[in-house]
Order: sequence, then structure tokens, then C-alpha cells
Amino acid sequence: MFVIMDAVIQTIDLHKNFGRVKALDGLDLEVNAGEIHGFLGPNGAGKTTTLRILLGLARASSGSATVLGRHPWADAVELHRRVASIPGDVSLWPNLSGGEAIDLLSRLRDGSVDQATYKKRKHHLCELFDFDPSKKGRAYSKGNRQKVALIAALVMDAELYLLDEPTSGLDPLMEAVFTREIRRIVHENGATVLLSSHILSEVEQLADRVSIIRAGRIVDGGTLDALRHLTRTEISFAQDSVDTHALDTLPLVHDLTVADGRVKFGAESDRVHEVLPLLGTLGVKGLLVAPPSLEELFLRHYGDTVAPPAPQAADDGGTHHRRHRAAAAGA
Amino acid sequence: MDALWTLYRQRLRRDRWQVIVWVLSIGMLALFAVAAIAKTFGDDATRAQVLQLATAAPAILVLRGLPRGPALDSFTFFEIFAFLGVLAGLMNTFMAVRHTRAEEESGRAEIISATAAGRWAPLGATVLHGAVANVLVSVATALGFMAGGLDPAGSLVAGFATGAVGFAFLGVGLLASEFLSTSRGANGISSALVMIAYLLRGFGDATGQVSSDGTTMTAAWPSWISPIGWGQQTFAYTGNRWWPLLLPLALWAVCAAVVVAIMARRDVGASVLAGRSGRADARPWLRGSFSLALRLQQGAIIGWCIGGFATGLLTGSLGSAIQSSITSNPQITAVLRGMIEAQGTSMTQLLVAALFEVAGILAAACGLQAVLRLRQEEVAGTAEPVVSESVGRMRWLGSFLGLGAVSVVLVMAFTALGAWVSLTASGDTSSAVGDVWQTAVDQLPAALIYLALPAAVFVVWPRATIPAGWALLGVGVVLGIYGGMLGLDQKLRDLSPFTHSPVTTSIGTDWSGGFWMLGIAAVITAFSLVAVRRREVGTA
Repeated sequence: MFVIMDAVIQTIDLHKNFGRVKALDGLDLEVNAGEIHGFLGPNGAGKTTTLRILLGLARASSGSATVLGRHPWADAVELHRRVASIPGDVSLWPNLSGGEAIDLLSRLRDGSVDQATYKKRKHHLCELFDFDPSKKGRAYSKGNRQKVALIAALVMDAELYLLDEPTSGLDPLMEAVFTREIRRIVHENGATVLLSSHILSEVEQLADRVSIIRAGRIVDGGTLDALRHLTRTEISFAQDSVDTHALDTLPLVHDLTVADGRVKFGAESDRVHEVLPLLGTLGVKGLLVAPPSLEELFLRHYGDTVAPPAPQAADDGGTHHRRHRAAAAGA
Repeated sequence: MDALWTLYRQRLRRDRWQVIVWVLSIGMLALFAVAAIAKTFGDDATRAQVLQLATAAPAILVLRGLPRGPALDSFTFFEIFAFLGVLAGLMNTFMAVRHTRAEEESGRAEIISATAAGRWAPLGATVLHGAVANVLVSVATALGFMAGGLDPAGSLVAGFATGAVGFAFLGVGLLASEFLSTSRGANGISSALVMIAYLLRGFGDATGQVSSDGTTMTAAWPSWISPIGWGQQTFAYTGNRWWPLLLPLALWAVCAAVVVAIMARRDVGASVLAGRSGRADARPWLRGSFSLALRLQQGAIIGWCIGGFATGLLTGSLGSAIQSSITSNPQITAVLRGMIEAQGTSMTQLLVAALFEVAGILAAACGLQAVLRLRQEEVAGTAEPVVSESVGRMRWLGSFLGLGAVSVVLVMAFTALGAWVSLTASGDTSSAVGDVWQTAVDQLPAALIYLALPAAVFVVWPRATIPAGWALLGVGVVLGIYGGMLGLDQKLRDLSPFTHSPVTTSIGTDWSGGFWMLGIAAVITAFSLVAVRRREVGTA
């Protein structure tokens, strides 16, 4: 479906077994140069296992994986000079300060870095993330430990960033700073980012393309736009005394319901324009058009584990949590 | 190379105080031993007498070494080397585990290995760190002996024998870290192996061949399967043989090769023996702070009980081995042995008394761990949900102390059981068989002090709990159990609880020291229980 230009990461039929448990079950993942790639899935789907294999921390049971054209297990050391990573759970040395830990990790990544520039950037990032580097490791909260990994990853340029739920434990303010910094490294340096997350808003804000993982395989993927085409835009308006019969018979209108004084239906996203004239002739009031969200897509793949039946759950999830993103449109 | 150097410096930075304390203690102990022995056992004649007594009643040799003549230098080596070997061994196993398995368990290894350090540089840096520390131990030991006025060439041999034993155990610790999924498990197994090495050479030394004058012995085969035994085989001062040190180096190399072979295949954080998965539902008895303490400590208690049982078995089998070797002994030994036994003390009784002291250390360590667990719970943050439930802080502390007391009793019970089983099986009918139970009870008061005292530290100065706990035990062991052989001042030795443990002889038992210690333990415990109510439960 997509023409692969320069795949920075490519895995083919990747398997990883822990005893009888199949953590990865034929994972095919492609990440192109210069993109922010969202890697979505709930806990236990295999996100961390995939990232650990890409970092050469774990060895695949079968299948192939290449990172920047190299073998992640065999060429780990050379690769790690070009790759920065953030783990989801950061643990620090109790008697080393946060600043010491950042210096240590940076030196290990590339010992030949220019000291003055490095210090300036470290200082800048500490200020940006409102981080006190002089406290001892044991004294930091979860969010502050996470900041150590964030700063260590961002303080030096890398070609590829492997981020495993990088904002866990950060407050919304810091999440915004993080989002800005990730955009900066991609735009300024042309870096590639693989961002594993279960926080949809984060991925939606940042990612160009997403892959959705479930039980160790990729179940859906593509650009956000392409994915949105597969989803439905939710349209609702005040019921008043509008006759909805004309809408109900349109083939692109799905699941029309009337509840709490509002009419609500889903329209195929790439054909929304076809329904708008009809809404105009009906003279609807209080029209809300909510663009398709990843959440809806996500729940479609996982809905059956959350609340069967799947499509219903998907629609509900889409409305309640995404209302603030809804765009009001006059007919 | 950059990464290796950076990681090595980081290890130095993390361990600077620990390494300094270990190296200085080992070096000071060497110096101190020479000084004390020179003062207490002044001339060759006195020392020859002591050695003749020791070879006649080889039970004593288990805690000392291999007699190689009455000169001050070889006598010092005989008295102190095995203990130096244990210290060097423990320093290395803890060091190996701290920088490998503990790092993987905490997830820090993950962050490091995700940098250009990769999977191998951390191992390389740990080996380098260990090698340098062992050279420091060797030099400190040699300097300690030389400063005491012993022959420099022999002191160098003795020093590097200590370091080589340590280096072998660095390999053992690294290997244990490959197999066990937790640092607690890896530390437990590898320090148990240090103790086994100590006891194996004790067995070999006690059952060796005595020379005609009764002051020199050749070790039996069990000493040859112990790294500490290899160090003794250098015959420092009398033989100055370097080649036996190839054996600990070879053991290190074998361990390192296996470690590399395993690491080439395994994921970061994985281990050969996978951690078992737990129960989905708690057992019905897990419903309070005491049962939680038991659930948390059950593995450790079982481990210490096995250690006690093994010590007991060793006591019995060693007793019969010594009894049966009496016929092949030279004249002088036979005469001495007759004299000892005429005083009403059997060989077995001597052995039981000596080795049950060691079991008493095991019991104290087991109890101490229950108290240290309190601090670990507090730091990990798992204490908070317990104390914020219906469990008051007093009951929380009381539960762990109660469990500690139970585990102390269990370890001694298993020791006595082991000794009773092996003595009965060997057909020993002396009164020592019945005495094992009494001797086991004798060790309880000192062990209980090691519950009460660390508990008070935990209440008053939480951050010091873990280092102070082990330091108190270490000092107690040196002063109380090795103080006698080092010829330490009685006032100094009186500071150790182990000095006051009741001793069972054929005449009976003097329990005055025991009652005093029980009283002191009770008072300190009561203080801790009251004071803990005024103390915050936090992670600071």
C-alpha cells in the first residue's frame, strides 16, 4: 500500500517467545526516515518487547529486524551511538544525583561530545523541564526520574529516537514541553522517532503515521489521514422537529440515533461533504461535526476486549471523550 | 573503550566508600592479627604448644587453618588467613552482584545497555573494578603483615593469596548473577558458596595428616576443592609457593567463560533460572503484618535453615572422621588427645561448641534480615500501604521482630537436628549427642540481641539500618568468635554478644550471660516498640 522510501526500522515476521508465551507473533513494522511513527497498543501487546529487540536488549526468537540498516543485536554498540532511547520506567542510582546520571548516560552514548555545547544544552533542557539536577537519585519522584531519561535522550542529537511511553508520570505542562521538543528534533535535524504509547492524544498530536499492535502483531497502520478515511466522522444536531427520515435512507449515514434531544449519526469521513447539503435543507441547529479520532480506531481494534459489541463501543468512546475537539460548523 | 572507562569510573564513584572500608578492614585485620598474636603467643615454644593442642583436637582447626610450623609468621597465616579469605570472598560476591544482577533487576542496566556501552561494557567494567579492588586487597593485606614485622616475601604471597581468593569469588558472584533473577537470590547463593568454601577447607584441614612433631599438617582432599584452601596451599612464609594461586585464577576464568557464553544468548534482564510466576490468589493465611513478614522472608528463612542443617551435619560427620583418625596419629598427638579427654571433654563436644558458634552467626544473620526487611519495605514504599491499613506501626515492627525471633529459633533447631542426625548415624554415644539441643539453645540470646539492636537503629536512625546492621554483626563476629584466637583484650571482646553466649560443658551450663542478654534484648525491643509510634514511616 505504501512505497517504502528509506526504512529506518524494518522488521519482518518478528517473533519473540518467553517460554510458551508469544510476546511477538509475526510483527511487521516499518518506520521511514524523518517521520514520527506512533506505535499504539495496550499494556502487554508487545510494544516494549519490540523496542527492546530494536535496541538489542532482547534477541528475537525468529524473523528479522534492521535498524538504520544494521542488525540491532549484533551491531548494538555502533547503533547506539546513533540512537537515543527513553524507557517507560526509569530507575536511577540512589547515590548519584540526577545531573550525574544524565552526564553518565550521555558520555556512554558519545564520549567525544563538545563539552561547552553539551553543558549549555543540558542546562537549557533542565530549565525547560523544570528539573533540579542536584538531587540524589533516591529523592526523585516518578515524573522527575522520567525527566532524567528525557533530558539524557534529548541533550545530544541522534538519528533515531526510540521512545517507550516517554511521558508516563509527566504532568500536562511537561507533556507539552516534550511534544514541542520532539517536533523540534524532527524538523531541525530530520530525525526519525518511534513513539510507543497508549495515550492517543499524544500520538495524534505528534505522529505522521501509526501502527497498531495487538497480541504481538500489527493489526492496522498507515498515515493518520489514511486511517481517518477508514473511520467515521460523527455528526450531531438539535432534534427540534427535524424529520430525520431523509438522512436515515442515505447509504453513507450509519447508526442514526436520537437521544437527549439530539440526533446523532456517523458518516464515512471522505463523504461528509455529500451529507452537508441535505443538513442545509433540513435547517438543522446546533450542528457539531467531530473529526474521526484515533481513539475510535483504537477501540475498533480492541473494542471487543473493552465492551462488546465492538462498533457500538467505538462510537461511544469517540463521542464522550473527544467532544472538546469537535468542530462546530454552520450549514 | 570510552564506555568501559566511563562505566569503570562510575563503579568507583558508587563504591568508593565501600571499597575503602573493605580494603582497610582486611588490611587492618592482617596488621592487628600479627600484633595480637605476637603479644599473646610470644615465643616459638608457646606457639608450638598451641599447635600441638590444635592438631590433637582438630575441631579447633575448622575455624583456623592449616598448621605450618610455630614461627610467628606462619602461625599468623594459620590463624587468620581463612577468615581473610572469607572477607575477600564476600567483598567480591557482593560487588559482582551489585553491578550486574542488581542493576538488571532495577532496570538501570537497560538504560546503560541502550547506550553505546552495549551489553558487554558493563561486564568488562565490573571485572576491571573487581580486579583493581582485589589488587588493593592484596597490597593492603601484604602491607598489614609487613607492618606487623613479618617477612616481606611471605607477606606478598599471603597478600596476593587473599586477593586471588577474592578474584575467584568475583567470578562466582558473576556466575550466580547469570542464574538467579534477583540480586537477593544471587547474593544469597554466592555468599553461601563462600561459607561452603570456608567449611570445606575446615573439613580438609581438620582431617589432614599431622607431622611427627604435631606442629605441621598436610590438608586432606576437601581443602583442595575450596578456593580458600587453595590460598592456604601457598604455604606463605614457610613455602612461599605461587603456583596454587593459578587455581583461583582458573576458577575465575571458567566462571567468566560460562558468563560470556550465557550473556551472548540471553536478553538484558533475563536469567538462566527464570523467576517463577506467583500465585493468582493469596493463601488464606496471608492476612496480617506477621503473615506478610513470613511471606516476604520465607525464602531467606528456608535458606538459612538449610545452612544451619548443613553446619549440623558437618559437625557430626567431622566428629566421627576425627575419632576414626586417632589411631593413625603420631605419638605426641595421641598423648595430648588422651589428656584432653581425661578432663571430661570429648572431641565431639569441642566440635559442637565450635561449630554451633558459627551456626549462631547464621541464626543472628537470619534474624537481622527480618529487621532489615522493615527498612527495605520502607524504602520501596511497600510499607506505606500496610501501615496505612489497620496495622499500627507498633504491630508492624512487632510482627517483623516476632518473625525474626521465630526464624532464629528455627535455624538453631535445624542445626541441632543436623548434628543429632549425623552423630546418631555415626554411632557416637557420648554425652555430646544429648548436649546438641542445649548447645543450640545457648546460641539464642546473642542472636536475639541482633534483632533488638538493629530494630532500635531502624527506629532512631532509619537510613543507617542496613549498613549498621551488618556492621554490628561483623564486629560482633570478629570480637566474639575470632577475638580469642587473635588474643584480643578481654574488655574489647566483652563488647560482642557472642562472647557472652552460654557454654555447655560436661559440668553443665552457666546461663548468667544468657539471662543478661535476654534482659537487654527485651529492654531494647520494648524501647523500639514504644519509640516507633513517634516515628514517621517514609522513604527518607
